[in-house]
Amino acid sequence: MAAGPPTVFGHPTEQLADLYSSCPSRHYQVTQLLALFGQNNHLSCPRVFLYGPTGSGKSHVISSILNTLKLPHALVNCVECYTSRLLYDHILNQVALVTPAPDNDYTNYSRCDNMNDFVKTLRTVIEDRELQEETMYIVLDKAERLREMDMNILPAFLRLGELTGCNVCVVLLTEIVWEKFRAGTGMCEPLVLHFPDYTKDELLEILSSDCPTGYTKDFYMSYINIVLSVFYMACRNLNEIRHLALLNFPKFCEPIKKGEATEEDVHKLWRNIEPHLRKALQTVYLREVSSAQWERMQEEAATQESSSANIKTLTGKVNMELPFYSKFLLIAAYLASYNPARTDRRFFLKHAGKMKKTVQQMKRDERASSQLLGPKPFPLDRLMAIFYSIVEGKVAPTANIYSQISSLVTLRLMTQVGSDDQLDGAKFKCTVGLDFMRSIARTVNFDIIRYLYDFV
Amino acid sequence: VRVDEMMPNIPKTPRQRKEPMGVLEQARARLHVSAVPESLPCRELEFGNIYSFVEGRLLDGTGGCMYISGVPGTGKTATVHEVLRCLQEEVDDSNLPEFQFVEINGMKLTDPHQAHSQILKALTGQKATPEHAAEILDKRFNTPAPRRESTVLLVDELDLLWTRKQSVMYNLFDWPTRPQAKLIVLAIANTMDLPERMMMNRVSSRLGLTRMTFQPYTFRQLQEIVMSRMKGLQAFEDDAIQLAARKVAAVSGDARRALDICRRATELAELAKTPGRKSAALVNMTHVDTAVQEMFSSPKIMAIRHASLQEQLFLKAVVAEFRRSGLEEATFLQVSQQHECLCRLDGVSVPTMSQLSGVCSTLGASRLLLVEAGKSDLSQRVRLNVSQDDVMYALRDTSQS
Repeated sequence: MAAGPPTVFGHPTEQLADLYSSCPSRHYQVTQLLALFGQNNHLSCPRVFLYGPTGSGKSHVISSILNTLKLPHALVNCVECYTSRLLYDHILNQVALVTPAPDNDYTNYSRCDNMNDFVKTLRTVIEDRELQEETMYIVLDKAERLREMDMNILPAFLRLGELTGCNVCVVLLTEIVWEKFRAGTGMCEPLVLHFPDYTKDELLEILSSDCPTGYTKDFYMSYINIVLSVFYMACRNLNEIRHLALLNFPKFCEPIKKGEATEEDVHKLWRNIEPHLRKALQTVYLREVSSAQWERMQEEAATQESSSANIKTLTGKVNMELPFYSKFLLIAAYLASYNPARTDRRFFLKHAGKMKKTVQQMKRDERASSQLLGPKPFPLDRLMAIFYSIVEGKVAPTANIYSQISSLVTLRLMTQVGSDDQLDGAKFKCTVGLDFMRSIARTVNFDIIRYLYDFV
Repeated sequence: VRVDEMMPNIPKTPRQRKEPMGVLEQARARLHVSAVPESLPCRELEFGNIYSFVEGRLLDGTGGCMYISGVPGTGKTATVHEVLRCLQEEVDDSNLPEFQFVEINGMKLTDPHQAHSQILKALTGQKATPEHAAEILDKRFNTPAPRRESTVLLVDELDLLWTRKQSVMYNLFDWPTRPQAKLIVLAIANTMDLPERMMMNRVSSRLGLTRMTFQPYTFRQLQEIVMSRMKGLQAFEDDAIQLAARKVAAVSGDARRALDICRRATELAELAKTPGRKSAALVNMTHVDTAVQEMFSSPKIMAIRHASLQEQLFLKAVVAEFRRSGLEEATFLQVSQQHECLCRLDGVSVPTMSQLSGVCSTLGASRLLLVEAGKSDLSQRVRLNVSQDDVMYALRDTSQS
């Protein structure tokens, strides 16, 4: 045995200790990857496929292995590379250690238009850097985008080692399973590794590592426990929970600052924070209130004691200012979309028969309620007929009225179905929800529920 | 720099090629497709027709077109080349006026318009863009030149010179009609009705009605071709040649195929040589039969027989699902349910969906199945690329053994 510091796979143990501490709760995956990669001069596994849900640490683990152990690598996000040429350029720049900057006029390492050029250039770059003896790692993040590029890109990347004749390891990171990457013509099967979701304990361990200064670790742990008890059912994404935990921590500490409680009064603190967190789940988590707004509200609540009930949420703002006739046109469009045409006589003619559903009709409607099935297209004539029957007074069919229809289409409140003809026989659909429609109808004192077939 | 150094050349091989030694080696050298004989057997009539056509035009100093068709391997190009070689001999004996021979092949052109450049280069040595070359050629064939010699133009693979406007074809058949052109065009293609099917009326009318069709070889003709190559060499039993000829004539009548089978049979005979004897035995029926089997048998049944257990079960599941639904297409989900049933019946462990998707994609990659991309996982549609009977035939044998 050679004398010297103890190593694992040729890496000094201090580096490995750093690596393991920077990837908490991913000990197994890190060991697995290290074993696959082997020593730097070993021929490593030529293609690795890592998949797991969002925020399960795929990119973090790979980039910390490559950076901590100082392995030669290129790390590319496929979303940024929307053409294959960008993808080649990014990889070659990183492999050749070239950064497009002002002093080199933002030039890339070399011009590469197709896979053939890329393979040739990659080989020369590796030879120029004298890295033939080492493994070159090419990490493609968000690899599902590769499927939408040219047909040859994904199969060629999976065989990059064979094609270049160099020791290249291609790592694909993605959220979807390998089966969905397969094309009809077959390709090399990579080694598939899974990153599972963090468990509750693992989340607790990771989150407790960013304890703010001035508080004890146990105190922060108890806070994280409460946060997890509220959010874990809905969300297991590490980033999301971490964000929510940091956002709501000042509120949790409020009673202590005011002197109403101490760090040991767990129950009191829980009673204080729990409803607040439940509200956060409905507002901040759904992004109906932005984080900045939420923080501002917390500050105001602390100073003025005003309740945070009067929050203006994003989806709450549904009252849109429309012209008078536009409102009626939209109501008419909604009624035309959600009512069957055969019932129009009963709803909109003065002396129609009784409005009563037969048992047979009831049964049929239960099967296919139009509120569930979505809007149906209607012709312009029917829209105008309903419009004239619901609007009060005489309205001339001026150009103004017809232009309001097309402006409703541009506002995406209606859509035109089948763009075969603009003028003759155009069909439309109404694309607004019932809540929005009811608030519009309320402003013109029109009881829309009475006219909807599903609610009669 | 000398001129011949600038000519494109292939580096010389260091060793001289060996002369064929044994009887079978000599037979192989003679049976090679590239060893075209001096005169083609069984094509005397066609030879005479083409010869008299070209000779007449050369003697009259006029131009004309001839369309030659026939399935691959019936000796079209070889016959035309033989005609031109004989004519050249006549010219050397001063029985005929001199002529220039130009040959283009549609398959060797990257773009149909390149034909213009190629013809110009062969005629005058000039290099020009296709458009410019067409202009120069047009001028050349339009202007009277009393001392100009005739030109024989051979256009092989004519169907690939098709363009939307058909300008290349039009030019090729229009130039011979000019009084001063003295151009004789011999056009070769595979389909008999190409002028009616692909060409516009004004192109096909200029092509004219001088047509010739090369019929596929009958088994007697194929036998004669092989026998003529084997003249003076005792390598084959007569029945062996007859078997090869009959088998090929039944399928395509392609002489290249017959020669290939005979060559393969000589190789098999060489392999089967008993070590004690000095010279190998003659090629007999069994060798030819094996060669025919190798060339004509379908590889798909072999592939199914050598597939893994789960792959075979998957194919069975596909067939079972087709029989159940009566359709020729099924979704992956439906097939996987059948597959699970078959596994349970056979007592094989049931694979997971991921493993089964892998099985499906390997079968798709080897083209036994036609599958969609894996993007539409459970609803991807699966179709068979072989007939259901072939699958059952291939799998019945394996289950019995």
